[in-house]
Amino acid sequence: MKKTLIAATAMMSILGTTAMAQEIGATFSRFDDNWLTVLRNGMVEYAATIDGLSYQQEDASDDLAKQIDQVKNFVAAGVDAIIVNIVDTSAGAAVSAAAGSTPLVYVNREPDNVNDLPSTQAFVASNEIESGTLSAFEICKNLRADGKAGGATGYLMNGQLSNQAAVQRSKDVHDVIGMDMCNFMTIIDEQTANWSRDEAQDLMTNWMSSGEPFDFVLANNDEMAIGAIQAMKAAGMDMADVQVGGVDASQDALLSMAGGDYDVTVFQDSVGQGTGSIDAALRLIAGEDVDQKVYIPFKLVTPANMGDFLDKN
Amino acid sequence: MSDTSHGTGGLSFDKTKRIWPSEMNVLLALIIIIVIFEILGQVLPYMNDQSFLFDTRGRFDSIFNEARLQIIILQVAIIGIIALGVTQVIITAGIDLSSGPLVAATAMIAMSFGQTEFVNGFANPKAVFGSWAMDLPVLIPVVIGLAFGALIGGINGTFVAYFRIPPFIATLGMFLICRGIALWWSAGNPVSFPTDQYAALGAGMMPVVWFLFLAAVFHVIMRYTLYGKHTYAIGSNEEAARMSGINVKRHKVMVYMIASMLAAFAGVVLSSKASTAQAGMGEFYELFAIAMAVIGGISLTGGRGSIIGTVLGAMVLGVIRSGFTYIKLDGSYQLMAMGGIIIAAVILDQFRQRSKA
Repeated sequence: MKKTLIAATAMMSILGTTAMAQEIGATFSRFDDNWLTVLRNGMVEYAATIDGLSYQQEDASDDLAKQIDQVKNFVAAGVDAIIVNIVDTSAGAAVSAAAGSTPLVYVNREPDNVNDLPSTQAFVASNEIESGTLSAFEICKNLRADGKAGGATGYLMNGQLSNQAAVQRSKDVHDVIGMDMCNFMTIIDEQTANWSRDEAQDLMTNWMSSGEPFDFVLANNDEMAIGAIQAMKAAGMDMADVQVGGVDASQDALLSMAGGDYDVTVFQDSVGQGTGSIDAALRLIAGEDVDQKVYIPFKLVTPANMGDFLDKN
Repeated sequence: MSDTSHGTGGLSFDKTKRIWPSEMNVLLALIIIIVIFEILGQVLPYMNDQSFLFDTRGRFDSIFNEARLQIIILQVAIIGIIALGVTQVIITAGIDLSSGPLVAATAMIAMSFGQTEFVNGFANPKAVFGSWAMDLPVLIPVVIGLAFGALIGGINGTFVAYFRIPPFIATLGMFLICRGIALWWSAGNPVSFPTDQYAALGAGMMPVVWFLFLAAVFHVIMRYTLYGKHTYAIGSNEEAARMSGINVKRHKVMVYMIASMLAAFAGVVLSSKASTAQAGMGEFYELFAIAMAVIGGISLTGGRGSIIGTVLGAMVLGVIRSGFTYIKLDGSYQLMAMGGIIIAAVILDQFRQRSKA
C-alpha cells in the first residue's frame, strides 16, 4: 500500500507540471479511521489512473475549524475542485460557503444542507439509515430462527458519540427493535467504545462481569464487534449462542466471519463512493450536469455471501 | 551499594515521610470509592441489589465477583505499564507526553514483524511485508519494538538533558512525530492477524501479569538501587545532585529511555491483546498515565512519588471505569468523575504537604 501511495504521489507531481492539469484537493475527517483509509487509498489509486489529474489529500483530525481552513487553503491555492469528508455533518453550510464558487463534492458523510447545495456542489455517499437497519434486522431474524422470539436480551456498542453515523446507526437499532416483528429484543445497556477494538474488549468484559445472560451484541462498526467477540471468547463463551452484528465488512471482520465467530455485517462500498466522488468533481469542473445526490447502496453480508466481499474493503 | 560510597547529593530520605502517608491516602480513597459503588448498587432501584465486588449470585467459588476484580485491573494494566515509566520521568521533575502516540507507532512497527501468513485459510489481507516477515519468532517483533522505544526515549532524553529543551516541549514534539510515524507506517491501514506466539503476549490476564511484574521490578529499582536514588536526587534538587557527582545529563537520558521502552512494551502488549495494530491506538494514554501517577500522590515538581502510589492510582481509575459501567452510567459521566478525582487528589495532597510544613 505504501508503494502504491509513493507511486501515486510521484505520478501526481509529474502530472501536476503539465499545462492541462486539473487539481483536486480532498480533506478527510480522520486519517486513522479504518474504513476511511480504504476509501482514501482507493481514491489515490483511482486518481492516479486519470490523465492530467493532480490529487492531494489532507487530514482534518476530527477538527471542523481545521477542515474549513483546509477548504479555504485549497481555494486560495487555486484547485479546480474540492472533495470533503465532513467532520461535523451539521456544519454543511459553513463548509459549502468556504468553498465559494470552487466545485465541491461531499463524500461518505451527508451534510445537513444536502438539499440546498449550490449548483457547483454535489454529494456522494451511502445512506446511513440503511446500515444499522440492515444489520439489526438480520440479527432479529437470526434470533427468531434460533427460537428466541419469546424474548432476547443484548448489548449495544456505540461509536463516538459526536459522530453522526454512530448516532444514526444506534437510532436504527432502536427503530428495528421498535418494530412488531423485533420487539422481543431488549437492550440491557448501551455504551460507547469509541469505534475501537480494545475499548470494546474492556467494555464487553465489564458487561459480562455482571453475569447477566444475553443473546446478542450489536455494534456500530466491525472493530467494536470484533473486540466484543474476542472478550466473549476469552471468557469461554460459545459464539454459536450469541448473535453479533456490526457494520463495515472490513477484511478483519470477514475473516472473523469465516472462522464462524461473526454473524452479520454490512458492506459499505468504498470504491463506489471514492470513484463516484472523483467523477462527480471532474464533471463539475467540466461544467457538466451532475446528480447532486448520489446514494451508493449498503449491502448485507452474512456467512452465505461473504465470499463476494473478501477483497473489496 | 551503600549511600555513602556513591553519594546521593547529601539528601537523606525520610522514608516515612516520602512513602507511607501518600500511599495510605490513595488506598483509603480507593476503598471509599468502592464503598460508594457498593452502596449505589443497593440504593439504585434498577440494580436489583447487585453487589459491585461481592459474588451475590453464587457464580464463583470465592465471596468476590472474580470477573469484576479481573476487569478492574485488566483495563488499566496497559496504561499502567506506561505510568510506571512516566512516574520515573516525573520524579526527575520532567514530563513525557509522547507515550500515547509511541504506543501506536510501536504497535504498528512491532506487529508488522509479528504477523501470520494465513488466517482461516486465507492469505493475511493486512500483510505489511512479504512472506520473509511472516511467522517470525515472537522475540523479533518484541526486540524491534523495544529498540524503537529506546530510540525515541533516547532522543527525548537527549533534547531534555543536553539541548535543555523543556521536557513538555521536547515530548510534545515527539508526540506529533510518533503519531505521524504511526499513520505513515502502513498508510493508515490496520496491521492485523498476529502469530499465535505474538497473540499470547497480551492474551487473557497477561497484561496484568506484565504490569504487576514490571511494577515489582521498578519498585525495587526505585527504592533500593543507585538508579532510583539518583532519580529522586535529581528531582529534589538538580544542582545539588550535580555538585555531588551525579552525571545528571546521562541519568536523565537513561530515565527517558526506560520510560519510552515501557511505553513501547505497552504498545506491543496492546496490539497483542487486540490482535491488531492501528494508527489511532493509544489516544489519551499519555494523559491517563500521568493521571495515574498524580492520583498516586506524585509531585509534578519532582522528587516525590512512588511506583506503589502509581499502581494504586491505576486501580482508582480502574474501579471508576468498572463502577460506572456497573451502575449503567454513560462514558461521559466517567470522564467528568475522573477529572474531578484527579483535581481532588492534588488538592488533598497540597493540604497534606502544607499541614506538615
